[in-house]
Parts: sequence; C-alpha cells; structure tokens
Amino acid sequence: MATNTLSTEKKFTWGGGKSPFNVSYGKLMMWIFLLSDAFTFSSLLIAYGFIRYSFQSPIPNTIVKPLAEVGHNFVEQMNEAGLFLQDHWPSPELVFNHFPFIHGIHLPLFFVSLMTFILIFSSVTMVLAVEAGHRMAKGEVAKYMLLTIIGGAMFLSCQAWEWTTFIGEGARLYGNPYGPRSFAALFFIVTGFHGFHVFSGVVLNVITYINVLNGTYEKRGHYEMVEKVGLYWHFVDLVWVFVFTFFYLI
Amino acid sequence: MEHIEHIEHTESPKDMKAQIWKTFWILFAFTVIDIVLYFFLISYHSMIKNWLFIVLGVVKAYYIVGVFMHMKFERKTLMYSIIIPMVFVVFFITLMIIEGDYTNILRWVK
Repeated sequence: MATNTLSTEKKFTWGGGKSPFNVSYGKLMMWIFLLSDAFTFSSLLIAYGFIRYSFQSPIPNTIVKPLAEVGHNFVEQMNEAGLFLQDHWPSPELVFNHFPFIHGIHLPLFFVSLMTFILIFSSVTMVLAVEAGHRMAKGEVAKYMLLTIIGGAMFLSCQAWEWTTFIGEGARLYGNPYGPRSFAALFFIVTGFHGFHVFSGVVLNVITYINVLNGTYEKRGHYEMVEKVGLYWHFVDLVWVFVFTFFYLI
Repeated sequence: MEHIEHIEHTESPKDMKAQIWKTFWILFAFTVIDIVLYFFLISYHSMIKNWLFIVLGVVKAYYIVGVFMHMKFERKTLMYSIIIPMVFVVFFITLMIIEGDYTNILRWVK
C-alpha cells in the first residue's frame, strides 16, 4: 500500500522528489551563485566601460616599437612625449610593458598574454580532473588537481608581480602617472576582485585535492565535488577573458 | 522527507578528452588572434573595433561555458536560465561604452 502511494505521487511533475533541470542540488546552486557573481563582475565592467569611454582614446604611439630598448625613466619619457595625458586614457601597451627578469626592453602585453595562457591551461587541467572523476580514476584526478593548483598559484604570483611593478611606478587608487585617476583605481579594483576569486579558487582546489588524496570522494561513490569546484574555476577563467578584453585590448 | 532522487547521467561525448584538447587549442588560437588584432589595429579607434574584441570574448566564453563547464550537454532549460540574463548583461556593457563615448563628446562641447 505504502509503495503504491509513493508511485502515484511520483507521477506528478510538481509532486516533489524531482531534481529541477536534471542536475543535482549542489551543481544547480553553484550555477545560480556563478550567475550572481557574474552580475557583480558585470557591474564593475559596466562602470569601466562607461568611464573608459568618457575619456579620449589613447594617443597613437609612434615612438616605441615592440622589443625596442627603453630606459628606467620610461614613464617620464612618455609623459614628456605627450603620450600620457589627463584627458586621454593611457594605451595599455605603454603601461603593461614589463616582464620579470627582463629589463630595459619594451614588451607590450607579453606578460599579460602569458598570464592568460597560464589560466587557460589551468582550466584545461581542471576539466581533465573532472573527466577523470567520471571514470573514478583517483590517481588521475589528484594529478590534474595538483596541476590546476600550480597553475592558479602561478597566475596569482604573476598578478602579484604585476601589481608590484604597477605600484612601483606610482600607480595608486587615488592617482597614477599615466593619465586619468580612475585608470589605476579601476585596474586595482577589478583585477583585485578577480585575483581574490582566483585565490578563493586555489583554496577550494587545495581542500578538494586533500579530500581526493584522503579518498573522501571515492568512499562517497562520486567525484561531484570536483565538478562543482571545477565550475567555479572555469568561471574565474571566463571572467579573466573579459577582464583581459576590457582592460588590455579595448 | 525523502530527499535524493534519480538523476539521469547527462549525456557527454565519449571522446571527451579529445574535445577538451580541441577546445584548448581553439581558446589558444582566439587569444593569439586577440593579441595580433590588438597590435594590428593599435592606432585605429572606433566602436567597430570594440565590438570585434567583445565578440571574440563572447566566442571564447561560448567554448569555456559550453565544453569546460559542460553547459552544452545540460538540459536546455538550465542553459537558457543561465545564458539569457548574461546576454543582456553583455549588451548592457556595450551600451554603456557607447553612452560613455557620448559623455566624452559632451565634455568637449562645453
């Protein structure tokens, strides 16, 4: 009798006991969280888009070619040459032209491209960990999770180095030697907010990695936690695609 | 209360690994295209250029969300409920860029 009642209940679409969208509770909630987080990032990018275009476009640079030798007083030189003005948004290639251990060479956007590739690569290792999780291959999941953590840590180190160089040249939240005040302020807030997400992602990845090694998910019978952490990690990569587009290309 | 239920395993292609690497190379290629275009169009300022970079960003987003985040293989209802709001948001960003451009013109009128 009891089983009978249960089976009739199951027939109703809205009778409960069904997973909406055919995904688990955790994954659906992760998607909803990512959507709300995407709104937060979007509000920052909307503000950026408006402020960036309420200033004049960068002045075309005909002075420094890529790979050209530059001195230590590059920013002052550009100021004197009239390429950094208060009414004009600075050209990203003149601001982000440093590379670790290489001094005195103009390398526009080389370092940030490297950062982009590092993050894309760590996204690939993450999705390979998810794929290995479907096959219940514990060793492979652990290997790819570790590679993802290394990728994330590399990205964070790169960003720390970029911030250090940027601050070293005099960029602050309240002003910078390149042009409009809001340039560095927006850069710090948006890349900082993204960097904080990367940091949280690395922490979540480390926790999941430890659990994988301990066999927590093997006992549970599925590696869904790796999938959920993976969703978050890919989102961080996705946001970087847009931060890269808006801050360095546009 | 009975909590967990039967969730059908969402269809994912058998050659997932090959597809992951293919997506990686696509993303890699698009990033290279982005950088090459940036230097190619460096002294050219127009809204079309911005549209171009935003569209390239959206293409990359399609591959990340579709393959890496497995969205292509989820139920259509889930896909639309997440994607459609974001389409409007990208539209909003583009609108504000255009609006900012008008603000810039107004600064010079006064």
